[in-house]
Amino acid sequence: MRNQLNERVAISGVGCTHFGNLMETPEIKDMSLQELTAAAVKEALDDAGLSGQDVDAVFAGNAMVHSSQLPATYSQISKWTGTQFKAGVHFEAQCSTTNVGLAMAATAIAAGVYDTVLVFGVETTRTKVKDYSPYEREPISHQQSWLWTDMAVNQAYGVPQGYDIFSSYNGLVALGYCRKHGISIEDFDRGMFEVCRTRRLHGSMNPKANIQETLEEAAKRKGISDAFEYWQSENNPFVAWPSRLLSLVTTADGASAIVLTRADAARDGRSQPVEVKGFGINATDLPWYGEDPTMWESDKRAVESAMDMATIKATDIDYLHTHDCSHISGLCTAELIGYLDPGTALTAARDGRLRFDGDKPMSTHGGRHAFGHAWAASAGSDTYEAVLQMRGKAGKRQMPKPPEVSVIHTHGYAMIGTVIVLGGM
Amino acid sequence: MQAMSEKPNKIRWYYEGLSKGVFRASKCGDCGKFTFPPTGCCEYCGSWNVENAELSGKGTLLFATHSGSAASHPRFEKAAPFVYGHIRLDEGPIAQAIIQGVGTSPEDLKALYEKGPVPVQAVTLQMDDLPVIAFNIQD
Repeated sequence: MRNQLNERVAISGVGCTHFGNLMETPEIKDMSLQELTAAAVKEALDDAGLSGQDVDAVFAGNAMVHSSQLPATYSQISKWTGTQFKAGVHFEAQCSTTNVGLAMAATAIAAGVYDTVLVFGVETTRTKVKDYSPYEREPISHQQSWLWTDMAVNQAYGVPQGYDIFSSYNGLVALGYCRKHGISIEDFDRGMFEVCRTRRLHGSMNPKANIQETLEEAAKRKGISDAFEYWQSENNPFVAWPSRLLSLVTTADGASAIVLTRADAARDGRSQPVEVKGFGINATDLPWYGEDPTMWESDKRAVESAMDMATIKATDIDYLHTHDCSHISGLCTAELIGYLDPGTALTAARDGRLRFDGDKPMSTHGGRHAFGHAWAASAGSDTYEAVLQMRGKAGKRQMPKPPEVSVIHTHGYAMIGTVIVLGGM
Repeated sequence: MQAMSEKPNKIRWYYEGLSKGVFRASKCGDCGKFTFPPTGCCEYCGSWNVENAELSGKGTLLFATHSGSAASHPRFEKAAPFVYGHIRLDEGPIAQAIIQGVGTSPEDLKALYEKGPVPVQAVTLQMDDLPVIAFNIQD
């Protein structure tokens, strides 16, 4: 494949809601999905200085239709976003949805078909439609949530025979990492504590994050003065030994949106544009890795495609987000990309290098654990954060030097490895 | 090569084999590799020239952890938490499945991890509604 964009494409606007629970979180409480989506879309359109009628096409992402009950999302949302009478499609790439949409939009713009495309993702993983009500919602049980989510995982053989996300994504990867690099289980545990501590710190500085409580604050709330003691307590059980609960995703309801346009037109927009330098997408089925649980071929190929299209090297990357539903998996991907040296991620976390003010900043919005995870909206939240950082607008968590090159990796369950490369104009 | 229209439901065929203790796969007529569990083409080279095959069920357990304490699927409510492992089969495929012969406690799993890779043998675990594959540790 030629693997090139024939015209330059830019992000001219981004939007993202608070991630939380539509029945509890004050900032989004009692909003309908239509309004939740519109909030993200309005922020992105305002950011770009456009209205819904200025876009040529709408790529509408929603993965778990069971809870949203909004198929044909582009059509059902159009009167809430001012985007009627435009080209549109409802699509999903699970947790990579919004950034796969970004890649689809960039492809269409670079091909000369559209000038401006709106991409959005909306998801509710905490709440679902109550009975057949047009506005009442109710909580989703743990098992129901996984039954629906795991419909994206091998339904012929994997799920029916006991597939377990906690094992495949966490415990087995953790053991593979420890054995490969000669890391003790005790050092692994301490390192994962530091990763979580960093993500919680970032979440505490992000007013839109699902969890804004630091680990230290959480420990204190439980009457424990030492955060690592809290980490090793019954408050943080093993979900797939040696991986613990607090190394995992937290679920959320949320929406995000991105406006993409021709780079020459983006310069006339309201906000500082960011260029889409490249992307790579690569999918596989279970098992996601061979003998070595730390090496995922689909990620390797997605990374190679994206970096080839963008003509960058790992040493060019100033800011990185890797999909961190599982913290250890996210660290393996950072090493695969070359952002961190093999076997050094846990030490880097302990040394504070992964913090917003460290030399290898990662997931400064808080990642899937602290910012939260609203499947189809999450990749857009990652892009939102990268754009804020590149503009120098990330508030308390702003990197001291705004990044010139940002790379965002996501896993679309299961498994669509997606990598996008953003650069300054 | 059998015409697509004449092929039986491969998924049903796999589970029917499992209910008899047979571990069914497909073998590529072009590259020779096994696709396990079976599909209608070769997962490695994409060839449609595949034939039905059986695996020995012998393999090596590379890593083992445990599932969540609450089952993600109703089928496994009685079994959870269970040990779940990463296995290299003697014929080449990598599999992940329930492991029998070791406990789910951190102490048991750590002892197994420190021992390193161990041989395993596939068996059929009959759940209420479906036979599923599991692997017994061979000591």
